[in-house]
Amino acid sequence: MRALAALVFSVVLAAQFENTSRRAGLIHSIPNGGVDSKRFIIETTGSGAAFIDYDNDGFLDVFLVSGGGGTSRLYHNNGKGAFDEVTAQAGFTRDGWGQGVCAGDFDNDGFTDLFVTYWGRNALYRNRAGKFFEDIAARSGLTQNRIRYNTGCAFLDYDNDGRLDLFVANYLKFDPATTPKPGENPYCWYRNIPVNCGPRGLPFDRNILYRNEGAGVFRDVSEESRIAKPSQHYALGVLTGDFNDDGFTDIYVACDQTPSLLYMNRGDGTFSEEALLRGVALDENGKALSGMGAASADYDGDGWPDIFRTNFSDERETLYRNLAKGEFEDVTRGAGLSRNTRFVGWGCGFFDFDNDGWQDLLLVNGHAFPEVEKLKLDIRYKDRAILYRNTAGGKFDDVSDASGPGILERHSARGAAFGDIHNDGSVEVLINNQNEPPTLLERAGKPRNNWIILKLTGSRANRGAIGARVKVTAGGRTQTGEVRSGGSYLSQSDLRLHFGLGSAPKVDEVEVRWPGGATQIVRNLRPNRVTAITETARP
Amino acid sequence: MRAISRAFTGLTAVCAFGQDVGTGVEQFHKGQYAAARQTLERALKDSPGDAHSTTFLALSRAATGGCKEAAPALAAQFNSGAGDLRRLAGVGLAQCHLAGSRFDEAYPVIQKLEEQNPADADVLYLSAKLHMRAWNGAVYRMFQKTPASYRVNQLSAEILEIQGKYAEAAAEYRKAISKNPAAVNLHYRLGRALLMESHAPEALDAARKEFEAELALNPSDAAAEYQVGQILAAKENDTEAAVHFARASELAPDFPEALVALSKLRAGDEAVALLERAVRLQPANEAARYSLMLAYRKAGRAADALRQKEELDKLQKPPEGEFTEFLKKLGEKPK
Repeated sequence: MRALAALVFSVVLAAQFENTSRRAGLIHSIPNGGVDSKRFIIETTGSGAAFIDYDNDGFLDVFLVSGGGGTSRLYHNNGKGAFDEVTAQAGFTRDGWGQGVCAGDFDNDGFTDLFVTYWGRNALYRNRAGKFFEDIAARSGLTQNRIRYNTGCAFLDYDNDGRLDLFVANYLKFDPATTPKPGENPYCWYRNIPVNCGPRGLPFDRNILYRNEGAGVFRDVSEESRIAKPSQHYALGVLTGDFNDDGFTDIYVACDQTPSLLYMNRGDGTFSEEALLRGVALDENGKALSGMGAASADYDGDGWPDIFRTNFSDERETLYRNLAKGEFEDVTRGAGLSRNTRFVGWGCGFFDFDNDGWQDLLLVNGHAFPEVEKLKLDIRYKDRAILYRNTAGGKFDDVSDASGPGILERHSARGAAFGDIHNDGSVEVLINNQNEPPTLLERAGKPRNNWIILKLTGSRANRGAIGARVKVTAGGRTQTGEVRSGGSYLSQSDLRLHFGLGSAPKVDEVEVRWPGGATQIVRNLRPNRVTAITETARP
Repeated sequence: MRAISRAFTGLTAVCAFGQDVGTGVEQFHKGQYAAARQTLERALKDSPGDAHSTTFLALSRAATGGCKEAAPALAAQFNSGAGDLRRLAGVGLAQCHLAGSRFDEAYPVIQKLEEQNPADADVLYLSAKLHMRAWNGAVYRMFQKTPASYRVNQLSAEILEIQGKYAEAAAEYRKAISKNPAAVNLHYRLGRALLMESHAPEALDAARKEFEAELALNPSDAAAEYQVGQILAAKENDTEAAVHFARASELAPDFPEALVALSKLRAGDEAVALLERAVRLQPANEAARYSLMLAYRKAGRAADALRQKEELDKLQKPPEGEFTEFLKKLGEKPK
């Protein structure tokens, strides 16, 4: 009887997610290469998704990056839970192999700009007063002297000069004319079936850092900053954060089949790559995994940002706990995240879906090779998402099966972005699916707990406050968060910060450490609303 | 005849010689073996004893079905010649032996070729072919002479594993077990196949039963103990897992993986000591080095951690390592 009661209780507690993309008007399929088989690796890695408020109307809009055969698409949030497509009028007309997207107000004009990575020339879309976007990559110095396979990206102010710089990950050197075809060499096979070749066997490339020189001009500082030093990594997802709390933004890069990278910002315009020694390059057995996406949050409430990374099938997801000062330990197994080994994970993010004040975790999946469907195994090209509920105390419960049809729908998912499209305290998830319309995961029934969303605006710091670190104290607990560009898998989540407050009736204190080091404290905020905080001028 | 001709296609040599010899070598490389034979016989009359003429004539004869006639010259060149000519003669001689199914004679030639040319694709191909032919012959004899033996099922299962057909492999292992319940290693291999077949949590329990059955047959099987420990660790039952890892390392004191696994369930100096022992046992073990580096770091021994990092950097795995990983997945027990 008690067991039955417990079961009923847990069912009642479970959040139910559904896919509302059709109802919301997100109906267009996003092309990404072959459906039943793929000839080249470029068909497997796209593409990202973004939630941004491009017209500053207070509601998150949707941007979806497209693979070859289509244009990336922009949808405007009408404020009533639905979206209108505005792709053409906003100026997005380019076809090409789009990969990643990241957002930031690089010109500090108050409107969020977009950077979209491609196999080929990248695009810097300058937001013209929320009306349309203009690709100014060429005149901004963001062109490259050869075709590159750009993947993850993030705006960051690495030198704290108030202007957003730009990091771009590069996967490998890809040329369809010289790349072997499926089955042509040992790197073009998976479980005895011929599949597209790589990344192993294909030449490495190097990552890029562009410094914002002002007046809309960027300069490639990859060499002088030592970003270009690591040379044997297949780089995909980019995650920024001040992992050692020294006031300078560091860069973590999830790498495929090679050790992941952690560029520690030395504060003098240079970085040193320290992933191995800091414990975030490999898994607990010292093995390089196939890292795809990465997310960060202080999941255990100790004040330090931790790192989660999605990996390939037959590998565990990886949760690295920050032991303080940017030294990490692989705690995947102890945290309850080691059991889902059949999935190829891509987009991921921490979000507090029940507003209990503890960061939960969602990752989206789908095998790289459509051909695996022929194997009749338990690994699938189209697969479901995984939702973990943070039970506090450093542990997660896999609640996927009890969390509604939206979680269990099968897609070959890649990018995932997180944000509250209704401003009602419940965080939605936008997922870019290969050769299908996107998924919009919405929770049916809103969480009962309190919440707050903070929208930060820098004045001395960059306008979008990217890199700002926030401590929210409510109900006797302090949570931390950081404003980030990029992240997840080649995606952009809401630049505002969402915090669940549990039953706390108010926020006692918000402490903001702005990029550059200025600290600002705001007290006694009312919950269940979006609150704007603008950087006050220094005395 | 066609088969042996084809076998010589692609053999290349760069050398300078007289007109007839040059023409004969060119004809050989173009696969015009009969013409090469005539040209080289003529060249040899003009310059008796010329090494190039002798060797390429022998190769041409071999390529046109005259292995018996060619063998003495090829053997002579292989045993006392030098450079590429020697390599070509060895390859030709080995191909002749293989074509005649004379594996005993082919083996020493190929072994010597491998010693002299360790990264030569032609030589490695021949070596693989020799072993494949020998393996095929043994399998054929086994299936023909002992078709009802449990070994036939065991071998079938191992082949199915290589093909990635784990469900079928498991079925064959089960047949083998039913025929010979006392045979060791079958339950172990079945447990591995079950783990490879499915990622479902139930597969862990099913595999654990097999590893425990293996231990019932052979209580000193350290690898089976280790696998039980791994399953318990995956299920977050650290206390019991540690017992099995400890037993595995007692049964096989030279089993660094067991020490590494045990170290993850221990703390402080005890973990460091286990890992130092693992590294001493196998200095090239990346898992041991990595874990030791992190254990030193955690213990505040920054300089020691840095030293381990430097060693790890040296161990950066070459792509070939993936094939070792592949073999490990097939269930080979640690040597």
